[in-house]
Amino acid sequence: MKKIKIIIDSDLKDVFLIGMTINRLCSITPFSDSECYKIELCVVEAVNNSIIHAYQNEKGHEVEVTFSMDTRILTVDVCDTGRSMDPEILQSIHMPSFDPDSNDLEIPERGRGLAIIKEVMDHVSYKTIDGKNWLTMFREL
Amino acid sequence: MEISEQKIDNKTILSLKGRLDASSAKELKDKVSDLAKEGNTFLVVDMGHADFIDSSGLGSLVSCLRSVSRLGGDIRICSLKDSVRAVFELTRLHLIFEIFDNSDDALKSI
Repeated sequence: MKKIKIIIDSDLKDVFLIGMTINRLCSITPFSDSECYKIELCVVEAVNNSIIHAYQNEKGHEVEVTFSMDTRILTVDVCDTGRSMDPEILQSIHMPSFDPDSNDLEIPERGRGLAIIKEVMDHVSYKTIDGKNWLTMFREL
Repeated sequence: MEISEQKIDNKTILSLKGRLDASSAKELKDKVSDLAKEGNTFLVVDMGHADFIDSSGLGSLVSCLRSVSRLGGDIRICSLKDSVRAVFELTRLHLIFEIFDNSDDALKSI
């Protein structure tokens, strides 16, 4: 098992550091560049959620990302100590649907982050233990 | 992210460079809002130098489309990198935005 932990401050301006690091780490796996990009996107979405929703955009808190990999599975854990999400949200969320012929004004602006993670990764789970929120996602190699 | 602006007749090309993400999405929305206030509502967003987009970046494009549509305008997207195009397809937003290979074709269409 190979494992690395990365910690950033809860500042949206720093999220690219996590994204670019995850992309580079994925490049040592058999995943294509396109898949590495999508995994980067999923981790960025999860970290954004921690900063925007758990920490309410307040700087000065830690978001911890753990990337681990064995011969079969790539796992990423995103951990924060902010407000917890209702785990039901993860279960019920899906990509916002719309009629392509509908009025542009009716297209939803938000609500795609978790849906992207669910579509790209093989499994996503969320739990809160001792004040720490963990979003865990994995993809089979 | 850097945004540069070029006006051609009554249309505006906005060229994005870098990452259109949660930290830069508001910058694009503010730019388009300012343009719309000046009556510039026919826009081409050239993403040839945009390396990355997340759901907040996509949301900002949807917001921009909604704000110019209210005023009778429209938006075209062009020059997407394959990785960025894949995110439009993942979220089905390629069905909403008209996407072109280059800014010339996008300008002709609007």
